Formats: sequence, C-alpha cells, structure tokens
Amino acid sequence: MTESKLETKNLRLFYEPKDRLRLTVEGDKSYLAVRPAWAAPLSHPNRFLSLLNSKGEEIAMVEEPSALDEHSLAAVTTELERRYLTSTIRSIVEARSDFGATYWRVQTKRGERDFVTQSLQENAQWLGERHLLLIDVDGNRFEIPDIGELDASSQKFIESAL
Amino acid sequence: MNTAQIVQRDNVAAASSDEALIRLEADFAEDGRYGLRTMEVTTTCVRILEPGSAQSCVVPISQIKTARNEPLVGGGRLEIMTHTGDFIPLVSYSLSVAAKFSEAARGIEQLSKGEPLSINLKHERVRCEKCGRLLPDKDGVCPACVNRGKTMLRISRFLWPYRYRAIMLAVLSLAATALNLAPPFIQGSLIDSVLQQHRHIEKLWLLMGAWLLVLVASSGVQICTGRLIAFLAGNIAADLRSAVYRAIEFLQLTYFDKKQVGAIASRVTSDTDRVWGFLVDGLPYLLLNGILMLGIVSFLFSTNWELALAILAPIPIVTGISAWYWRPMSQMFHKVGQKWARFHTHLNESLQGIRVVKAFAKEDLEFGKFQQRNAELRDAGVNVDTRWYTLFGAMTLFTSMGTVINWTVGGLMVYRGALTLGEFWRINSLLMLLYGPLQWFAQVNQWFSRAMAGADRIFELMDMEPERYGDSGVHKKIEGEVEFEAVRFGYDKSNPVLKGLSFTVTPGEMIGLVGKSGAGKSTTINMLCRFYEPDAGAIRIDGVDYRDIALQDLRSQIGIVLQEPFLFNGTIADNIAYGKPGATFEEVIAASRAANAHSFVLSKPDGYDTMVGERGAKLSGGERQRVSIARAILHNPRILILDEATSSVDIETEKQIQEAIGRLICGRTTFAIAHRLSTLRNASRLIVLEKGEIAEMGTHAELMEKQGTFYNLVQAQSAINEIIGVGAAG
Repeated sequence: MTESKLETKNLRLFYEPKDRLRLTVEGDKSYLAVRPAWAAPLSHPNRFLSLLNSKGEEIAMVEEPSALDEHSLAAVTTELERRYLTSTIRSIVEARSDFGATYWRVQTKRGERDFVTQSLQENAQWLGERHLLLIDVDGNRFEIPDIGELDASSQKFIESAL
Repeated sequence: MNTAQIVQRDNVAAASSDEALIRLEADFAEDGRYGLRTMEVTTTCVRILEPGSAQSCVVPISQIKTARNEPLVGGGRLEIMTHTGDFIPLVSYSLSVAAKFSEAARGIEQLSKGEPLSINLKHERVRCEKCGRLLPDKDGVCPACVNRGKTMLRISRFLWPYRYRAIMLAVLSLAATALNLAPPFIQGSLIDSVLQQHRHIEKLWLLMGAWLLVLVASSGVQICTGRLIAFLAGNIAADLRSAVYRAIEFLQLTYFDKKQVGAIASRVTSDTDRVWGFLVDGLPYLLLNGILMLGIVSFLFSTNWELALAILAPIPIVTGISAWYWRPMSQMFHKVGQKWARFHTHLNESLQGIRVVKAFAKEDLEFGKFQQRNAELRDAGVNVDTRWYTLFGAMTLFTSMGTVINWTVGGLMVYRGALTLGEFWRINSLLMLLYGPLQWFAQVNQWFSRAMAGADRIFELMDMEPERYGDSGVHKKIEGEVEFEAVRFGYDKSNPVLKGLSFTVTPGEMIGLVGKSGAGKSTTINMLCRFYEPDAGAIRIDGVDYRDIALQDLRSQIGIVLQEPFLFNGTIADNIAYGKPGATFEEVIAASRAANAHSFVLSKPDGYDTMVGERGAKLSGGERQRVSIARAILHNPRILILDEATSSVDIETEKQIQEAIGRLICGRTTFAIAHRLSTLRNASRLIVLEKGEIAEMGTHAELMEKQGTFYNLVQAQSAINEIIGVGAAG
C-alpha cells in the first residue's frame, strides 16, 4: 500500500508498445498495460486519478493529474478518452415523454445521439443541485455537469421531462 | 443506435474466404465521436470498414492468438492479441452493442483456433418499423404504435365472464340517463301548463306524482348500478391481478435481475388499477355521457337553434382550456407524487436505521435531510394547488358564462314571446347537465392513454416468454449424476462469468465449490437449478440434457440450503412442511430432529406453532438455518445445494448445523459452497474455480499436497485468521 504514496513528479506515462499505456516510476520500476481510472468521476471530476496494473491493483493515486509532466498528461488523457465512453450533453434537441419512456435527441461532445430512458426516478440522477446524469435503457451514461449552462430550450425540455 | 447483422453459415468451410461470416456495426468512430464503423469477420481475416467502405484495419485470422471484449466505462473495446505479441485495440462501441461484440470476439477466437463458428448473434430490432422511434426494450413493443383497438379487445376479454352483468349495467345506465333527463321536462311542463296559466291544478298533482316516481326509479337504478359496479370492479380487478401475478411467477429470473421488485409489484397494483378503473368506471361514463351530450345538444337545437348556438358558444373555450392545461397539470401532479415517494423513502430509511442515526449522533443531519424533502414536498404541493385553483376559477367563469348568456338571450326571447318560460327553464336545467361532464371530456384521451399504457405493460408481461414450467419434458426420477460440458454463461452477455466449465459428478458425491468471490461458484449453482440456462455448452443429469427434463420435475428433486434462508410468514411447522405439502406432523418432527431443530423448537412457548414472522425475523440466524435444513430434509431431494450454509452462525451452532448437514447429504449428490475452507474437508472432491474456469479438481488431501491454487487459498485464509486473532488479542 506504500506504493500509493508515490510522488506525482516521479511518474512517467507513455505508450510502449503501441496502444499500451506504460508507467515508469523514476528510479524504481516500470509497469506494463496500465489502466487509469477516476476514483470519483462525478463528484471530483479531473482529480483523484488512480493508476491500476493489469490485475486491477492500484499502483499510484494521482490527486492532481495536472501536475503530471506534459507528455505523461497527454498520454494518460488519450487513454482516458479511450476508456471513458461517456458523453457530456451540450444541448437537448428534443425530449418527449410518452407512456413511461422518454425519447431524447441530444448534442454531445461526441456528436448527436438518440436514446431512450425509462423510469426516470431511477435513471435520472441528480448528483448536485444542477448536475444531472441520465442513464439510458442500455446503461449508457449521459452527463450534464451544469443544467444552468444549457440553452433555454434545453432547460425547458429537462424541466418538462423530469 | 445501430443494428447488427450476422451472416451465419452451418458450414463455414463452404463460405468463400472473402464472405463476411459476422458483420457488426460499432457506434464510435476512430476519433471517439459517434459514428459508424463496421467490423467484418471472414474465414481469413477480421477487418474494419469506415463509412464509405474504406478499409482501415485488417488482421489475418491466422495471426490472432486471442480476441476479447475489454469492458470500458459506458461501452467496450474489442482487443486482439497476435501470436507475435502485438496488441491491437480494434474497435470501440457503446453498451448498446457491447454484448454482440463480446460474442463476436468469441467467434473470432473459434475461427483462429480452427474450430467451427458457433456463436449466438441474433438480429435485434432497436427501432420501431412503423414510426422509427427507439424501442425501450430491444425486440419489444413500441409504446407509441401499439394497436389500441387490439389492446382494447384483449382487455374486454376480462369482461367476458361477467358479460350478463355488464350488459345489465349498460342497460341500467341508459335508464339512469333517461331518468336524469326527465325532471327538466317535468319542470318545463309544470311552468307552462300550470304555473303560467293559473289553472289545471290536477295536472300539478299528476306531474309531481310523475316526478316522485322518477326520483324513486332513479334512486333504485342508482343503487343497482352501484352494486353492479362494485361487483364488476372487484371481480375484474381481482382477475387482472391474478393473471398478472401468475404471469410474473413464471417469468425467467433474468427478468427479475433487471427490474426492481417495487417496479414489478407496481404492475400488479397500479397498472391493473388503471385498467379496471377505465373498464368499469371510465368506459360506461364515457359512453353514457357521450349519448347524454348528444341528446341534449340535439334537443337544444331542435327547440331553438339561435339560443342553442348562443349558450354553447363558451364550450370550445372550456374544452380548450382543459385540453391545453391538462398535460402540464398532470405532470405537476405527477411531480408531487414523486416528491411524496422521496419523502417516504427517507422517512422509512431513517426510522429503520434509527440505531445507526443515534449511535453516530446524526439526528441533526437526518433532520436536515428531512427538512429538505419536506420543503420540496411543500413547494411542489403549493405550486400545483395554486395553479389548479386558478385554472379551476377560470373554468368556472366560462361555464357560468353559459348560464349568463342563457338568461340574457333566453330572457330576451321569453320577454318577446319567442320562447315560453317552460321551454326556457327546460333549456336552463339541461345546460347544467351538459357542462358537468364537459370539463371531464377533455381528459378522456389522457385517461384512455394511461389505461392503454397500463394494459400494454400488463400484456407485455403476459406475452413474455415464460420458463418452460410444466412443459412436455421427460418425467424422470433423478439418480444424481451431473455433467457440465463446456458451459458458458454471463448475466451480462458481454462479460461471461463461466467460461467453458466441464466436470462430471457421480451420484452421491459431495462436491465442494471453492474460489474467490466472483469466481463463478454461485453462478454454477444457478445454472444447475436452471434459474439460468447456459449460453453455450450443456448440462446433463443422468446423461439427459437437463433442458429435456420437465422443469418442475427437475426443481422438485433439487434442494437448496442458503446462507440467508428465506422463511415465509407462518408457523415453524408450515415452513418445514413447505418442502413437502401434505406431510404428516410426525414427518415434520422427524425432519426437525434430523436437522437438530427439535429441541430449540420445543423451547418456544408455542412449539411448532410458533409464528416465525416476516422472512422468519423472529428466529435467530442459526434457528432459521436449522428450519431450512429440516425443510430440505423433508423435501428429500436427489441433488442438494448448500450455499454457505454455516457461515453466519457461532461455533456451537455451526457444530449442530454441520451435524444436521451430515445427515442431510447422506446418499445425495451434494454441491457445497463454503467460505471456511476447512468445512469442506469431508467433500468427496473439490472444484477450484478461478475467473469462471476450473483451476483444480481433486480431494482435499490431493489439492493440499499439490500446493496449487487451493493450497494458496487455504494458506491465505489461515494467515488471515491469525491476523484477526492477533488484532483481537491486541
């Protein structure tokens, strides 16, 4: 467990071989096939990044990933983008509730997407006053970090759907 | 979301090398945006096609060592490892299609090993063919396109057993309508031919007599219809609930994994309520008021069309308002309902956990949460009520307007002699009858929709493929030989829990299932009970594929003793006899003795008649366990499953339970899962599972000698016990 206290400045992350993230702890050892995982992606976004080995055991916890050196940060950011296939909603094009299902068409940072949600009491989770998470019937996640930042018509859709 | 296609051939070799055996569409483009990429698997290669058919990646099958679905957050990635050690992340996809890619990965591995392709990829409908909407359940019904006529017809079948009473209700309701219309006419004649003319006093008596008769008849009819409605409502509601409950009972367990118990229960209660409510209250009301309104309107026009036009003028406004505001209003009422649910959840939770609250001295924190929910509830309530009363006021204004118009225009006509006072009075009275149901009519469509949606959810349950209980399988007396052959299974199809399990157990053997949590022990047991069926491979009992054995026969010869035994609210004797309905009291006592339960039962004031409470809450853990063992002994199964049966009791009780189990397993094929590995010393053989595969198999002694996985588990466990011991001493 002492390993979790590794200092961020000693961590080097890079792709080696291709598409496999590798972690080298300066002056110590190197880990192959490292998997980054956010400890609390919703309540503490962009902080507390855990680096796991191929067995899923923690090698290090990086509290402030921004403190990583430039190349490491770039590599780990790429890997995180590949591993977190979640979407952040930018605007809601349409949301219609019919017969217990809600049909959404949204603009996300990944492009436009249609999805259906059911029983919104469970599948629309308020993580904060204005922070909303929608989970569709397949389990895909759509996050709205701040309702207040959406345009008026998107807000209206949320107001009427929830 | 994307559709997936599979081109499967019985004979892979017959397919030309370039023909796609598997074709799947992934929903993420290479840059991580939503997009379309197609993965094709042929006999010679796996390739990725970008939109426009440009080929972006080709991996020859001959180079592939492994292919797997790497679960990611919100989706997955198909990863290939080549013989030369190259790692290729082939394609990423969302959870909507992850299961298919997982199956495809298996197919790629089969091809790479030169095995025939045998995967299960069926085409699923994700959008409605008619309206193009996404379907809430894949291959399910589109809630917007369900045929309402068909649903209505199906609902009305529930009326069939009571058809004579239903017809009677219809006839009586018609009579009630007619009787309702009578008083205005009587009053009209009274005014015109008696009061206005100041003579024909005998007609007064006649008319008043008629009115009295109408009143008596109308009350009689009302009583009869009320009684009929009570009868029909009660019976139809009960029939619906029974039908839904029966359908739920036979659903496959996979359904229960996906849904919360509360959500299923609400189909039995609120969905059935909506349906019978509409059937018994709504439908007659709708029909009769429809007839009534039509009748009144045509009468008004036939009496005096100008006046009719004038007094009916506010009607479009009233209907308009109620149609326009109904949806937002009903949404607001729904919101209040949700706030109530949240409030209740918190209230229940904090009261149930009151010990924890007190122990942590968190009364203020809990009060804070309570206050917050209470305030939410208050605000939602105030909000909806203020709007409701405003709306209600506006509606009243417009309905009263009709009366004012009638008195103005009608008064003028009477004054000018264009209308008699009697006629005017008649119109005035009928007007009252007209505006009443009018406000309600705008909501009919909503009510109807809700009832139909409820009915659809009910029928959806009834139409779901049930377990093949009581099917035409072989009736068989089981000896107890169990064979698993390459059994594969995953609750989530993209993530298999059992990966090709093979073993054979002879009758009477006791098998210990060992492994870390998540290794697949409980899943193996679930497969054996046929709570779930293998995705691939087969399970045979006495050499017969267990899917060919009648399910009821199979289950009735399997007994389970669980870690947390579930007892039903009833007496101890009832619970023991659950395994064998109709068991004599002597048999119950014998089973109880064998389970070491007899003496503790006798120490209770009511002995075997002691009520165990809900879920057996009035008994201790060890007592519940022994009752459940007695239940299993009486059930007398050929195959016995012990799932951590002794893990939650103290040492003394454990000894007693062990003893009882010793008697129970005698001569039966037994599968035991135990956390304390030492308790499995008596097992004939141990099967050590690791990540869904068999790591080792053999007797306790053999495995200890081998110093493999099992040995390490035992060492780790005794080390932990030592640590716990030291910690406790310190």
